[in-house]
Amino acid sequence: MKTQRLLRAGIGIAAVTSLTLLAGCSGGDDSAADSNSGVAPEGETTTIQFWHSMSGTNGESIDAVVESFNASQDEVEVVATFQGSYPETLTKLQQSIPAGTGPDISMIERAFVPLLAEAKVLADLNPFLESSDMSEDSFVEGLMGNITFDGELNAIPFNRSSPMLHVNKTALDELGLEVPTTWEETEAVANALVVKNGNETSRYGLTMNYESWWPISLIVQQGGSFFNEDGTAIGFDEEGVEAFEFIKRMQDSGALYYPPTTDSGNVVGQMFLGGQVAMVVNSSGSIGGYLQNATFDYQTAFLPEGERAAAPTGGANLVMLADSDKQDPAWAFLEWLINDPEGGQRFIKDTGYVPFTPAIAESEEFVELFEAEPQRKVAYDQLANSIDTNNSPHFAEIDQEFLKTIQAIMYDDADIETSLDAFIERANAILAD
Amino acid sequence: MSVGLAAPVLAEPGPPAPQPEVSIPPRRPWAQRIGRVLAAVLKVALLAGFIAPFLWMLSTSLQTSAESSSFPITLIPEVPQFGNYVEAMTSGPFLTYFRNSVIVTVSILVIQLALMIPAAYAFAVYDFRFKNILFGMVLLAFMIPGQVTFIPVYLMMAEWGLIQTLLPQIIPAMTNAFGVFLLRQYFMQIPREIIEAARLDNASEWRIMLRIMVPMSIPALATVVLFSFVSHWNDYFWPLVMTDSAAVRPLPIGIAMLRESEGISQWNIIMAGNVVLVVPILIVYFFAAKHIIRAFAYSGIK
Repeated sequence: MKTQRLLRAGIGIAAVTSLTLLAGCSGGDDSAADSNSGVAPEGETTTIQFWHSMSGTNGESIDAVVESFNASQDEVEVVATFQGSYPETLTKLQQSIPAGTGPDISMIERAFVPLLAEAKVLADLNPFLESSDMSEDSFVEGLMGNITFDGELNAIPFNRSSPMLHVNKTALDELGLEVPTTWEETEAVANALVVKNGNETSRYGLTMNYESWWPISLIVQQGGSFFNEDGTAIGFDEEGVEAFEFIKRMQDSGALYYPPTTDSGNVVGQMFLGGQVAMVVNSSGSIGGYLQNATFDYQTAFLPEGERAAAPTGGANLVMLADSDKQDPAWAFLEWLINDPEGGQRFIKDTGYVPFTPAIAESEEFVELFEAEPQRKVAYDQLANSIDTNNSPHFAEIDQEFLKTIQAIMYDDADIETSLDAFIERANAILAD
Repeated sequence: MSVGLAAPVLAEPGPPAPQPEVSIPPRRPWAQRIGRVLAAVLKVALLAGFIAPFLWMLSTSLQTSAESSSFPITLIPEVPQFGNYVEAMTSGPFLTYFRNSVIVTVSILVIQLALMIPAAYAFAVYDFRFKNILFGMVLLAFMIPGQVTFIPVYLMMAEWGLIQTLLPQIIPAMTNAFGVFLLRQYFMQIPREIIEAARLDNASEWRIMLRIMVPMSIPALATVVLFSFVSHWNDYFWPLVMTDSAAVRPLPIGIAMLRESEGISQWNIIMAGNVVLVVPILIVYFFAAKHIIRAFAYSGIK
């Protein structure tokens, strides 16, 4: 699985090179705001292709929203198609754009936007926002990182999430413990929650899914940054050592369970719901599933603070392709998604992603929802602490290196300082290219 | 995931080899008995190891959502949930997916056989210029992984306007280099005298190939067909890359859509989908296995 993903990333990079060339040949696309582009003759329906990566119940939610849009008017028909996981969707875009078979709108994982933006294949959405009396301020500020390039807005936030602390409050209450808010408290609480049966641990204090975003946020919480300001080098040093020493200490004392790389989200989720671990750092996207299945008092909390509070965001954005000759009807759909209560608002409510506009969060429906499910409000409120983790077209490639470093430290007990130094060296070499 | 699931099916031990006890010098009976018991235990352990994931899939497909995600794992569902199958099959256009899978896989197999048999026959029986170079090229084709070619192939298919059809899943799989290689080796083992005798009887080359060589190569053909069927039936990545709409997509993509993109997956539903995916493979396997055994027994080739 892992090698396959790496292989695909490699092929993706090769594809981007050819894609950049082809995009260059097509003579650029500053026709984004051309008001005549793709308007169908009177009475005819324009079909818009929308690619996404939502499967399972999230996929059903997307279908429901698209169906509702199609039923609401008869000028634009949106066809939504599942294109595999986020990396698979990226791969498909990378080959379909030069082939001229790309969609009009696509969902792109947050980390991949810079890659496509750099290749100049994404439409600038600012003119469209203006034409609908909106601006970048219409969206939640914490979600607007790394989608503006050369003054162009290349994506709008949609199914976004943020890592949170998910807590089995019942287990904490039994021991008279408070939900931790700092690193020190986290360590103390996680250790106190451990239950051992002889040599076997029947309950761990804390676990996290196998992702780079929590380690990255720990680094930022200590005052570092993943990339330096102009994106030319790695922006941390000592902070990385402190971050890994923190989680490694808990792993060594038996308080932290570090999951296998494959399917870690499901593994930690099932352990949490089954009572094998009392606290999980995982995406806010899990809230819905946990709420449905938890048999204990389930609460969420902000990520514990280090020197300061910081939480990255995840999930995906929506983009419009520069090549699309149906940009106006495509925008009609996007605008509906942003503003209509039956659009994005309904999708966010059904799935558990965080509201991407203040208007959704302040809607009557969400005020009530937040009251009934405060776990979700915590996720939204935490967006005030959002940080940028990946404002570089090289993030996807460097992230693979970072994950390898995480594996070396967490599975093989590699020396933290040497591993991180080696990572920084490799990453800087990639950035210097 | 789907490829992994095929493993227990393929790896099921074949019929036990005949025990050459007769020729072995007499041993003390207790040693012999222990040896036999150990062999049986080993076989059962091996069988259990390979069949366990399959049974686990079957069991999970009949569990409730709570049972499928509980720790320790549930072995036998309290009340079998046959509704899981209905839920899996109604969550998308599964009839379309199934039909596409059948059309694609059957077309691939038929075309592969039509191309592979004459090619292998030519390489095995005739001498012609550049034969070795050409055969080397066939072997080369068999060594290049699909991931390397999918971008140029996609561009080609897009250029021809075939992306919204089933053809991009069939055309690149029409040839089977491994099959040509295996069949050629098999044809070469068949004594030349048989071919010469047929020629003396005025049999045409096509007739020799189809009436003499092919029937004698059923084991090799059955093996090739089985491998080819399993890999194309289970293929996820290639159809995903080559198709953009549900109307032309095969079953494995439908199954992948049952998986939750984020959050907690409904394993019971996913496994129900996987059982549906695997059943045709089992049917083809049993069919092929019978032929392999029969062909070995009656072909007269040692």
